[in-house]
Amino acid sequence: MSTVSADIFNSPPIADLKPDDELGKYGIWLLITTEAFLFITLFFSYFYLANRTSRWQVEIPPPITLVLILLGILVLSSIVLHFFGEMQVKKEKYGGARAGIAATIVLGLLFLGLEGFGFSQSWLNITPATDSYGSIFYVIQFFHAAHVLAGLLMLIYVLFLPLGPTQRTPYRPLHTAALYWHFVDVVWVFVVFFLFILPHLD
Amino acid sequence: MSAAVQQRLTEMWESPHTVRGWFATVDHKALGKRYLVSAFIFLLIGGVEALIMRLQLSRANEALITPEMYDQLFTMHGMTMIYWYAAPVLSGFSIYFVPLLIGARDLAYPRLNAFTFWTLVLSFVLLYISPFAGQAPHAGWFAHAPYTETQYSPGYGMDVFAMSLILLTISTTGGAINLIVSILRLRAPGMSISKMPIYLYSTLTMSFLVVISMPALTVACVFLELDRRYYTHFFTVARGGNPILWQQLFWFFGHPWVYIVFLPATGMISMLIPVFCRRPIVGYPYVVLSTLLTGITGFGVWVHHMFSIGMSQMTMSFFSAASMTISIFTSIQVFAWVATIWKGRPILTASMQWALGFIALLVIGGLNGLVTAVVPVDWQLHETYFVLAHLHYVLIGANVFPVFAGLYYWLPKITGRMMNEAIGKWSFWVSFIGFNVGFFPQHLLGIAGMPRRIYTFPSGLGLDSLNMTSTIGAFVFGIGILISIVNFFNSLRYGVLAGKDPWKADTLEWATDSPPAAYEVVRIPTVISRCPLWDDYDENYDPRNERILDQGRLTLATTWLDATPLAISRLPDDSLAPLWLALALFVFFGAIIIHWLWVALAAIVIGLACACFWVWPKPTKGLA
Repeated sequence: MSTVSADIFNSPPIADLKPDDELGKYGIWLLITTEAFLFITLFFSYFYLANRTSRWQVEIPPPITLVLILLGILVLSSIVLHFFGEMQVKKEKYGGARAGIAATIVLGLLFLGLEGFGFSQSWLNITPATDSYGSIFYVIQFFHAAHVLAGLLMLIYVLFLPLGPTQRTPYRPLHTAALYWHFVDVVWVFVVFFLFILPHLD
Repeated sequence: MSAAVQQRLTEMWESPHTVRGWFATVDHKALGKRYLVSAFIFLLIGGVEALIMRLQLSRANEALITPEMYDQLFTMHGMTMIYWYAAPVLSGFSIYFVPLLIGARDLAYPRLNAFTFWTLVLSFVLLYISPFAGQAPHAGWFAHAPYTETQYSPGYGMDVFAMSLILLTISTTGGAINLIVSILRLRAPGMSISKMPIYLYSTLTMSFLVVISMPALTVACVFLELDRRYYTHFFTVARGGNPILWQQLFWFFGHPWVYIVFLPATGMISMLIPVFCRRPIVGYPYVVLSTLLTGITGFGVWVHHMFSIGMSQMTMSFFSAASMTISIFTSIQVFAWVATIWKGRPILTASMQWALGFIALLVIGGLNGLVTAVVPVDWQLHETYFVLAHLHYVLIGANVFPVFAGLYYWLPKITGRMMNEAIGKWSFWVSFIGFNVGFFPQHLLGIAGMPRRIYTFPSGLGLDSLNMTSTIGAFVFGIGILISIVNFFNSLRYGVLAGKDPWKADTLEWATDSPPAAYEVVRIPTVISRCPLWDDYDENYDPRNERILDQGRLTLATTWLDATPLAISRLPDDSLAPLWLALALFVFFGAIIIHWLWVALAAIVIGLACACFWVWPKPTKGLA
């Protein structure tokens, strides 16, 4: 019956195949996709409410200095995580990588601390309970902060993970967490642009 | 050698038969069965709610239940059926059969699979706590604002609506991600993207719809809960909010959801019609493309649920045209099925009869849907029983009927025993007649002007006899479904043993034992055609014994396009962590409802600890 030989698939012998270390990567990409749509929905709500409400027309644009500093912190954290975290693991310098991850975590905490300080400074007395603008303005930022926290927890988890070459996936968990961290940073770019810069351009 | 290998594989893949083993199992077969059983329990609960409503509406001025109870009943009925039955029952089939169809030993993330099952059940529990805690949700399954705000809906009903749905979106999204990665990564060598069974395409499309559309529901529910208990103003007009925002968000999720509960069912039909017609499906590429295009176009039609809110001519034209476009893709599939039957030699098994009933009802449900896609007609029929008839024709016709076709087709694989064919045919005819007697009059009721969601009606408006007919039909339909359930329990005891391939079918799941062994396949099969069991090629040909993979819980990863072997995936073993995480989330959402924020925080912290246990790598040796 089986006249067709097994190497019609033109592939290396199964015994030579490496362990699959990329399943996590696909999962995190799909998680990022669904979370990206979460933020797209939030931004849609922002513009939908803005377009249909007269109240927003008279508002003064929100202060921009602090969020630009925060943007700088996040960009820096992504750079640190990539060059001093992932690249170090690829070079099998695990001690250095751990320091890089720790530095990223410190930067993330600094971001959350400064953002919290920003929330505590009252701006035109606008709070989530003031009107629909206050609601969507702060809820988008809270959502983002929650995702920063999630990214931080992933990095803390990786920090305590054995990263050595004896482990079967030397840098995959780090790569997975890093992808998510970069995603969170990209979202902040959009938050800054839509919520803070655009009102100034009007 | 073979017996020793099987013994070793069994030890590796079988969950222990203990209480802990039952709760900790990550086996997709056990979880798939539990999904199916849970979904059928939800179906029966939702069905009883429907029958109570039909009794209330059987006569004019009937006073069986109060108006408040009626509101809660139709809401719980809609939510139970649409969220907790229609999608989970299809997920049950996918979770059980996708690994078998692709020749893998489990899904890509077995523990995630356990987690999504437990969150599904717990979200249902969260929803059904509400009637016992004073008030169930009462604003319909779509819950349009501002009626859902605290001002009009005090009590915890709508909070339960929002929180149980968020928990469900977590479950559904997790399940969808699991299916996508499994289908794209774990297919048997040779099962290139052009040789996948159509069911895998429809499951894949459905999963992408879930990943993209679910966040809109999550956001809408978060807004609702914040508005209700945490002082924001998303939907309060007085403070710049906009109730239409709810409709936009909800229906952006809601219409893709219709295809989420419909597309996998068409995939099942595309699997079993060729088997019972003894020939491959006609127009495979067209069926696949129309499945994908239905999914894509499904994102461009949500506004047709809102034609009556007032919008520009341009908007209405666009969404009306997009809605009609969908019918073209569905027609292509219908014609492919009809052509397959035409060209083949159909055998009228019970399963095939349910499938034919599905085609008939889908055509009716599609045509009356086309009617409501025409804007002026929609204005006339909006909020009447006509829409109710349409949605039941598509949801029951295109979900319940194919599900029963699938059950009669696949249950022999799951239980190892055949269902009784004669009882199955009785069940079909009673259900089919009952369904049409029950729901066809509702078209006429709608045209006569009977509005939806009213708890009673005065006599003398010409609605009496049609309503009575509808109630009688609903009960007959219920009896038809019960006959199949009796048939199922009967088959467990007295059914004829099925053997590997009772239908002489073509796809890989029929190459396994019935029920499949814990490890499913001794060798990961290879595939060279779309109908692997109908060709001359031996899927198990493996002279060097290299595809046994018995050094751990292993399966084969392949490339997503050509399915050439790529790597060896190690799958995790049983764990209680998914269950604990699901329980923590349940407590979290429950605590949010009753404002116990410290409990919510504690639940999140505990949940995170569980998540760490879940993913913490085990020290491995050997291949690994």
